[in-house]
Amino acid sequence: MTIPSADLTTDPPQHGVLMRLRHVNRTFQMGEVAVVALADFTLDVYRGELLVLLGPSGSGKTTILNIMGGLDHPTSGEVWYGDEDLAKATPKQLTRYRRESVGFVFQFYNLVPTLTARENVMVATELSREPISVEESLGLVGLGERLDHFPAQLSGGEQQRVAIARALAKNPELLLCDEPTGALDFETGKRALRLLVDVTRKLGKTVLVITHNTAIAEVADRVVHLRSGNMVSLEVNATPKPPEEILW
Amino acid sequence: MSVLDRKLLREVRGSRWLLLAIISIVGVGVMMFVYMRSAYFNLSRARDQYYVQGRMADFWIDVKKVPVSDLKAVAELPGVSEIRSRIQFMATVDLEDVAEPLNGLVLSLPDRQQPVINDIVLRQGGYFSDRRAEEVIVNDTFARKHHIHPGDWINLVLNNRRQELYVVGTAISCEYVYLVSAGVFVPDPEHFGVFYLKHSYAEEVFDMSGAASQIVGILAPEVREHPQALLDQAERVLEPYGVLNKFARRDQPSNRFLSDEIHGIGTFATILPIMFLAVAALVLNVFISRLVEQQRTVIGTLKAIGYGDRALLTHYLKYGLAVGLCGGLAGWLGGYLMANWVTSMYKNFFEFPDLNNIVYPGTYIAALGISLLCALIGSLRGARLAIRLQPAEAMRARPPGVAGAVFLERIGWFWRRLSFGWRMVLRLVIRNRLRTAVGIFAAAMGAGLLVCAFMLSSAMQFLMHFQYDLVNRADVDLSLRDDHSGLALAEARQLPAVDAAEPLLAVGGTFWHGPYQRKGAITGLSQNAKLTIPRDTAGDPLSVPPLGLMISHKLADLLHAQVGDTITFRPSRGLQQWLEVPVTKIADEYIGLSTYADIDYLSHLLGEEFAVSGVQLKTNPKPTEQAALNAELKRLPAVQAVNRREDVIHNLKANYIDVQKIFITILVLFAGVIFFGSILNAALIGLAERRREAATLLVLGYSRWQVGGLFLRESMLVTLCGTLCGLPLGYLLTWSISLAYDTEMFRFPLVLSAGTLANTVGLAVLFGLLAHLGVQRSIHKLDWLDALNVKE
Repeated sequence: MTIPSADLTTDPPQHGVLMRLRHVNRTFQMGEVAVVALADFTLDVYRGELLVLLGPSGSGKTTILNIMGGLDHPTSGEVWYGDEDLAKATPKQLTRYRRESVGFVFQFYNLVPTLTARENVMVATELSREPISVEESLGLVGLGERLDHFPAQLSGGEQQRVAIARALAKNPELLLCDEPTGALDFETGKRALRLLVDVTRKLGKTVLVITHNTAIAEVADRVVHLRSGNMVSLEVNATPKPPEEILW
Repeated sequence: MSVLDRKLLREVRGSRWLLLAIISIVGVGVMMFVYMRSAYFNLSRARDQYYVQGRMADFWIDVKKVPVSDLKAVAELPGVSEIRSRIQFMATVDLEDVAEPLNGLVLSLPDRQQPVINDIVLRQGGYFSDRRAEEVIVNDTFARKHHIHPGDWINLVLNNRRQELYVVGTAISCEYVYLVSAGVFVPDPEHFGVFYLKHSYAEEVFDMSGAASQIVGILAPEVREHPQALLDQAERVLEPYGVLNKFARRDQPSNRFLSDEIHGIGTFATILPIMFLAVAALVLNVFISRLVEQQRTVIGTLKAIGYGDRALLTHYLKYGLAVGLCGGLAGWLGGYLMANWVTSMYKNFFEFPDLNNIVYPGTYIAALGISLLCALIGSLRGARLAIRLQPAEAMRARPPGVAGAVFLERIGWFWRRLSFGWRMVLRLVIRNRLRTAVGIFAAAMGAGLLVCAFMLSSAMQFLMHFQYDLVNRADVDLSLRDDHSGLALAEARQLPAVDAAEPLLAVGGTFWHGPYQRKGAITGLSQNAKLTIPRDTAGDPLSVPPLGLMISHKLADLLHAQVGDTITFRPSRGLQQWLEVPVTKIADEYIGLSTYADIDYLSHLLGEEFAVSGVQLKTNPKPTEQAALNAELKRLPAVQAVNRREDVIHNLKANYIDVQKIFITILVLFAGVIFFGSILNAALIGLAERRREAATLLVLGYSRWQVGGLFLRESMLVTLCGTLCGLPLGYLLTWSISLAYDTEMFRFPLVLSAGTLANTVGLAVLFGLLAHLGVQRSIHKLDWLDALNVKE
């Protein structure tokens, strides 16, 4: 389960800022109580890096992912993608942003149960102006043969690969992964992680993974530690481990 | 096909039973629209074409006898385009193989065929020949009923003389599309027919040389809508010749029945489909809203991938459109077949040269458009829920809903007595307000329809019972050719089989009260009459006042008259004097503008000692006695018409009650579709929502039937609440129908029997149980281990 294409860049560029988050706050109103999900969060996301946001449940990881993915607005702060501040974008602009620039991978895959693997990927390609072909993207994740199976006929690992293929098929700059190994067993989880590493190293995509699993942080270029909506530390990993070597 | 459309198709297939339930409700609504509109257009079109083809008259004036040469004055009245004079008389028909005398209306036609006002359309044989004077053309239905063919000879008693006539042909006429004799409401072609004679022969046989007894005419278009003033003018011109009756096309019995029917079906064509489509839209609303709720994550994912609001809105609206389209197409087919059937049923009542079911593209397109629109409205709320979901929020499981105590829990003594099952059911019913409201609405509509169907049936049966058991109790009604003295009564008592005979004096004329006037008749009865007993709408006998008139409520309303008022009555025969008569009683009646008076009082008003225009007989039912009576009646020249109660009832049953039974069965089935569709839909949605709960109960040791029982309680509770609401609704619906049919000829009794209520509730329960079978099947098929693992 590796990305086979020979023509892809093997030495991904490690420079250039893809996204800038500045003093981002997100507060949820729960009845009369205001719950701070994210407080004064500032971060630059670089092109071609594998960034892990690490933290326990309630630390604000999903909130950052939602804001970066254009699924949610911050209460205050700036979220720059190129020259566009997503914090001020209209729903229409956010839809265009999600359509053209981001791919999502979810913990529970979120495949449409009534569509086959191929059709689940088509859900993305039909929207995109320059998609990777369905067969190619499913090939990239090693699922070239089970194209016409429905999600219920696929294993968890296979479903997650379909989800990654769906995210890749739009050929986005940024891949946002929400606990991508959370629902998978150890071996399958490692294989999914290998796929994401390959997407970064070989396809040059920026991959952001949120997880509470500290072991996964070892494969990342950088790790953001979060607790209670605050960034606790930012760690740069000079020698990321291959997924095959990590244990959890 | 886009991938979202594929998703749609698969999900439609997956929810096919639920959707079929909604589609069937839409389908029935569309079918009703299509068939009723088609029947409406079929009848209107056939009527309009036939009236043009047969040159239907705009007015009729009956006179005693008028010289044709004096009719110029009528023809020259401004507004009159053309007139035709003819000879019209009643006759007794004596057929060899029919024991009883039959009633006939004789009309003259030109000796040589030419286009005339109220022309005939030949069905068999041909027009009059030059070979003989005594030729007759017979009304086609009468001829068919009695197997009379061109070339046969038949006997008619014309002007007190028995005449043998040669049948040259059979025909129908636009004047008698709905062929009823005077005072009868249902065509009875076995006992009443129209006979056309050569004008020259009619002149001779009725002593009407150069004279006529009826003038029919066509009016200029500008007068046609309001012909009353012109008719009054014509009456004044014809006054010296004794005007017996005059009416415009609007009041011509055949046209009136036909137009009432067309109007009635036009009204139904709007009300009933709206009921069905409203239920369908609401049920669809529940379905789509639930679907969106179930697909929260999918919607969130699609939004995350980049699908915009419009794409998602369109996607979910397409569910509704699919239902609208399928329902519309099914309704087209059903509507076409039903229109075919109904149109063929109409052929039993209405005689048209050409009554066919035609496809009216406008109706079909409108039906589909309405069906799609209703489906769109029904799915709009759900689809908007989909676009209102924020993607980040949609991705999370829905937070648990409000789960506080429901108001019933505050009634401690009541709540404590309930089992856990009932508590669960009551909480669900109260918390799912929208779904419960839709369920109640649908059941109310279904029950309303059932009540209406049963009330229509009861009304017809009640009317028959009222008219032929309570009011008119004579076995045989004899109408006499002219007024007779008491001797006629004495003679009638001598007839074979007669146990009792009572006199009757019917006097037609015009009632006046201030500016208000109305055509009508006074029926004179003897004080101790037992064969006609006027009754009020409660069925209680009304005694005829010794002085003055007892008039019906309807006539009192029309004349703005009250008890104590004096009204003017001008008889249309005899000396035609203006008579001042007090109103001494007002009574409710169902049929006609009945007015009763004491026969002696009425005779005196007319300046006679004792006059009789008809005799009512109570007879011995023994066949030999009856045969003797029939033979005698055929011979009596004074008898103008014979009506037997038995025949009338038989005819009503065969032609009306049986047809009505079919319509009521169809209405019951349609109501069943509403009940079945809405209950099944709500229960299957409930099951989909509570799969885990159902599975947990199974794990705890409940049987599948017990789990099903909980769902049954819920749907029965809603169904019964709705049915109870539907009972008054059905009454109101029938009441509104009764208003539509509240005419001078007929009032519609509102009969709400315990049977109607019991049948309605019983059927509602039955439909509920049938729908539950579908739910129980799903519970039996439930994979409970899978249901337990559902991720929230």
